[in-house]
Amino acid sequence: MFASIPSAVIVGAQGVPVSVEVHVAKGLPGFHVVGLPDESIRESRDRVRAAVMSSGGSWPDIKITVNLAPSRQRKSGSALDLAIAVGVLAASDQIPVDAIRGLAFLGEVGLDGSIRGVPGVAPMSGALDDLDLVVPVQSTHEALVVARGRVHPVASIRELIGVFADEAPWPDHDVDRPIASLRHEPDLADVVGQPMARHALEIAAAGGHHCLFVGPPGSGKTMLAARLPGLLPSLDREQALEVTMIHSAAGVQLPPSGLVVRPPYRAPHHTSSSVSIVGGGSNDLRPGEISIAHHGVLFMDELPEFTPKVMDTIRQPLEDGTVRVARAALHTTIPSRFQLVAAMNPCPCGEGNRPGDCECGSVRLSKYSGRVSGPLLDRFDLRVRVERPAVDDLVSGQPGESTRVVAERVAVARDRATARQGHLNSDLAARDLDEVAPLTPAALAVLRDEIENRGLSGRGYHRVRRVARTLADLTPHGDEVIDEATVALALNLRTRVVRSLDSGRAA
Amino acid sequence: MNAANDSLPGLSLNCSSGRWTDDDRRCVAALAALPNMTTARLVALQSGRSPRQAVAMALGEIAPSKAIAATFGRSGDLAGQWAEAGRTMTPERMGEWCAELSVQILLPLDDLYPPLLIDDPKRPAVLFAHGDMAALDRRRVGIVGTRNPTRRGGQTAARFGRELADAGVAVVSGLALGIDGAAHRGVLSSDGPGPVAIVANGHDLPYPRRHHSLWREVAERGVVLSEWPPGTKPDAFRFPQRNRILAALSEVVVVIESRERGGSLITAREAAERGVDVFAVPGPIDERACAGTNSLLADGAAPAADTETLLMALGLDGRRAGRSRYDSRLAPGDDEQQVLDLCRAGACSLESVAEEIGGDLRDAALRLARLERGGWVVETGGWFEAVDEFADLA
Repeated sequence: MFASIPSAVIVGAQGVPVSVEVHVAKGLPGFHVVGLPDESIRESRDRVRAAVMSSGGSWPDIKITVNLAPSRQRKSGSALDLAIAVGVLAASDQIPVDAIRGLAFLGEVGLDGSIRGVPGVAPMSGALDDLDLVVPVQSTHEALVVARGRVHPVASIRELIGVFADEAPWPDHDVDRPIASLRHEPDLADVVGQPMARHALEIAAAGGHHCLFVGPPGSGKTMLAARLPGLLPSLDREQALEVTMIHSAAGVQLPPSGLVVRPPYRAPHHTSSSVSIVGGGSNDLRPGEISIAHHGVLFMDELPEFTPKVMDTIRQPLEDGTVRVARAALHTTIPSRFQLVAAMNPCPCGEGNRPGDCECGSVRLSKYSGRVSGPLLDRFDLRVRVERPAVDDLVSGQPGESTRVVAERVAVARDRATARQGHLNSDLAARDLDEVAPLTPAALAVLRDEIENRGLSGRGYHRVRRVARTLADLTPHGDEVIDEATVALALNLRTRVVRSLDSGRAA
Repeated sequence: MNAANDSLPGLSLNCSSGRWTDDDRRCVAALAALPNMTTARLVALQSGRSPRQAVAMALGEIAPSKAIAATFGRSGDLAGQWAEAGRTMTPERMGEWCAELSVQILLPLDDLYPPLLIDDPKRPAVLFAHGDMAALDRRRVGIVGTRNPTRRGGQTAARFGRELADAGVAVVSGLALGIDGAAHRGVLSSDGPGPVAIVANGHDLPYPRRHHSLWREVAERGVVLSEWPPGTKPDAFRFPQRNRILAALSEVVVVIESRERGGSLITAREAAERGVDVFAVPGPIDERACAGTNSLLADGAAPAADTETLLMALGLDGRRAGRSRYDSRLAPGDDEQQVLDLCRAGACSLESVAEEIGGDLRDAALRLARLERGGWVVETGGWFEAVDEFADLA
């Protein structure tokens, strides 16, 4: 007696269809799962047995073999529980095999026969093509976002037995929006003073530039970074689906609609392991923070405190927009096109921004600055000094422009860029710069002087020109030619990070 | 010098000629190289016996004197450490090492040992000199200050160094980063007398490493002096001790920028204890790098805004001391001049300039960029500081 139940597992951010084949036959009583299950799936034997028995079903005390096909793929997670339970019921003739044809099952079972939500229902549903889906009640919206067939939410195995064996109608579950409020996006109006940092944030949003804030503790670097997503436009349908898949796979709570429409904001702590940031894990290759921040903002506070390994491994995703995670038995590619915002102190004592203020010895200074590799620092088009706000600004300062006002300008600038070259300014190729960002002679002279006398590198030159392009896009009329003042300001948005080791801008 | 012999407490009377032999010098140098050696222990070891005997006592070859036995008793396995280190670094090897490095060993009865230090309450038991001790025969001004100065501080140090050297005065400083280095570089840019550097580590490894070539130049044009032999590491505790020698060898000490608790304040205190006039360069009240100097002024140090003041304190005619370097920069326009004046009053950020001139960030950036191209301001980590003709030495 045999049944084959469609289900799925997660690898990275992708669903992989799995057929759960259950065979029940005479022999020594036993319950075996084959097909490269990992420990978490082996545990499901005990859950499934208890769940079936507490749901009014009987446990066939004969030999039960479960095969998870394709059998060369390693499988992990508890999402197959429900499929195994249904397979055992079908193979032991407790429910008719015909009744479950065309249905796929996702979900974890409890010992009492209840069905619980699992991470990754969205990508798994996507992998199950045109089948109708049976999913836990909690995961209904996730499944609805991508499913092409019908979606049946169920709360317990008892309900399923009712539907299949007693031909009861599908249970009608109240799947109203769960009470989870929309992520609150803080407003830029909360930031008092800080004209330079605010401006940098606006430029970062308009041009998609990676941004590094350098300033003493208490200067509001974290506050600023948290306000970048609010300046970004909402995701389009395609982006929203990609992000939803990743969030679902990573077990991040989804918004009530099930679809992530606002750019995500992730701020992993610097003690996070490189696996949690980049993605991986031995069996299911879960998406890391850089993928959860896909199409959104990744904020790395205290950048030099992150391990060198983390800083090294995020460089490739910064370039490619994807991260390839490989383990001995399996590998996958997860999207990770994020905008990086980082913050660091100017020096270990945290005071050393203004010349003469710092008390750090040169050895400590060079050690601190050496922790952030040059190639990573180089990825930041914007490197901005942030000061503690003046007391006057704090107590009686006028609130700055609100997120709504700035976001409108940002949207205009982004439209100008995409209309002109089809993508944001941060992705401009060096060879296109002369065409899309022509310089006035005076502006060119500024840059030439910077290269000749202050060590601006070739790469730095291109990055300054990209930022200058964004600055011009943000002007009321979107100046086509870049003038001297714009270039001068762009240069100021790219200061050297650590004082007194080497002065001036460059790199 | 011989006449001073009897009046010197703690000096060996076994020394028959009253002069030291080369072997004596080697022996004292080797003693100074022993681990955990201090000036007091050096004096105690030599008290009443020849340097050779002192070496034998340090190595445990003869019975320790009461004082040394007490020291051994207090300090764990000091006797063992000395015996072991002393067998490796023999007086002969130390002598050869110093010769290789062209380092002279000076003991307190030597002609070249600075007379000023002979009567000092904390007289160094030995000095290691690389260069020409004649540099100390000039009038001497000590210049000290923070290792992390503002650009203005560095420029002032370079200017003082240059102008004092031009006036024929020897500048005494410590070869540290920041003010010290700028002062030395200022002196070296002049044709005047060479600088005097008092350092805290051995001559084998110039410290800080970034001042490697500066150290060599100072030794070539003037002299580098240390209380400790080659092989001595730049341990933190040695710097305050070095400062007392710096103070003792200066006729006037000027502090250019120091934080509330800075090493240069120790130098100032040592100088005051020795009756050496202390000058301080006044700075803005909100500048952290000037907090120490401003408090020195409050405590009665004399303000020094130019070299003239310092030369007058030495009783020299300072009227001819003036700007000594040619300024070839083109004068900035009016708009830029306004911004330059702001930067001259203290480091400015782009934001602060924009606020002061009532313009936007672009306008401020434009003016600052023009000043920067004209060589009037320099940007460091987002801060703009005015530069003068001494910027390259600061």
